[in-house]
Amino acid sequence: MLQPTFPQAPPAGRSARAPRAATGVRLLAAVWALASALALAAPPAAAPPAPAQSSAPASAVAPAATAPAPAPGAAAAAAAPASNPAPGEAPAETRSLDEDIQGLKKDVVDLNKDLFILEEELLFPANTQVAVFLSVDVGDFFALDSVQLKIDQKEVINYLYTPREVEALLKGGVQRLYIGNLKVGPHELVAFFNGKGPNDRPYKRGASLRFEKGVGAKYLELKIDDRQRKLQPEFEIKDWE
Amino acid sequence: MSWQRPDGPASRGGAPRAAASLRLCLLALALGAGLPAAAQQSYPLLGAAAPNFALRAANGGNVRLSEHRGEVVVLSFWSSRCYPCRAQLAALSRSLATYRSAGLAVYGIGVDDDPGQSQDFAHSVTVDFALLLDPTKVVSRSYQVDNLPMTVLIDRNGTVRYVLRDYSAASSGLYLQQLRALLNE
Repeated sequence: MLQPTFPQAPPAGRSARAPRAATGVRLLAAVWALASALALAAPPAAAPPAPAQSSAPASAVAPAATAPAPAPGAAAAAAAPASNPAPGEAPAETRSLDEDIQGLKKDVVDLNKDLFILEEELLFPANTQVAVFLSVDVGDFFALDSVQLKIDQKEVINYLYTPREVEALLKGGVQRLYIGNLKVGPHELVAFFNGKGPNDRPYKRGASLRFEKGVGAKYLELKIDDRQRKLQPEFEIKDWE
Repeated sequence: MSWQRPDGPASRGGAPRAAASLRLCLLALALGAGLPAAAQQSYPLLGAAAPNFALRAANGGNVRLSEHRGEVVVLSFWSSRCYPCRAQLAALSRSLATYRSAGLAVYGIGVDDDPGQSQDFAHSVTVDFALLLDPTKVVSRSYQVDNLPMTVLIDRNGTVRYVLRDYSAASSGLYLQQLRALLNE
């Protein structure tokens, strides 16, 4: 699947454990916020509109009082049925509930993003990480069909491109073709590009690069470009220093 | 014919044999009726996410399953040596013509070792969908294909919902019934 993202090196001076701890705290906070918001949102939906002194709203407010830092929107949603029991106030309640739901959705999306980052940090630590990206410019002389990637004589990926993916690349997308781990030292990357060249003929070209893997993450880019003077495609492997 | 249990030497003879054969017939009928349900239950991928894949089509181009999220996808595994596969692919093509506008995508996946044989077969069949080639059998292994033709129905969320392990009039009716259920979801 195409992932049109650009790699970003971690900021200098930021250790590997600090972001994990911060992410963990954020995850816990998000989980707590979700749980408390769900607990608060449930009673107004389940209980019928009741007078201000009824027991249902009181029980709904109780968790908010004991919680260390309740969300203001959620607390307002919980207090709404107690203070405004009239039928005319129903749209306000609905609006508040809708805001809560939107907030929950946003929290879930943020949580998913944090989990994804955490997973990547665990699976591919920065000191061994190698990522290979692919971009296509113009593409008049070459229609991409597949790319085979070898690192140190070992095939690591053989990727088939669908028309939709090629279209996304031609629109400027950059695909993260491969991410893996390599030890520090010299390595060789070989890429074979298959597709259709000028005059719709089958076209296969290779490109290679010897690179030195240092302590930090390594980013390489396979660039497919058109060479207008020769009316031929050009394949290049670029090392992002 | 006696429906009583034989309880002595005098009762041995044709009656027990008839009773035994009757029981065998009943057992066979019960098995026959229960087979489709058993086939559904024994497929381990039912209810699981359909394994993603990218394969080359016989007529050129590549297909990736994940690009069809939101559509009902039917995968039919075939081989050039499978006689009923040809009829089944034709039936699938007819169903695609009917339900394409409702969000149906159909793909045939050839499991021949020799891609040339698959190519020949694909060129000899007239269908409205892409016939994909899986000479390395990576996809057929991930879908645990144990019979040909085998049809897998995937819902709009990318979950394997039904599997059919043969092609007959009965299974064809069942296929349409299951397909309509998925399209209506």
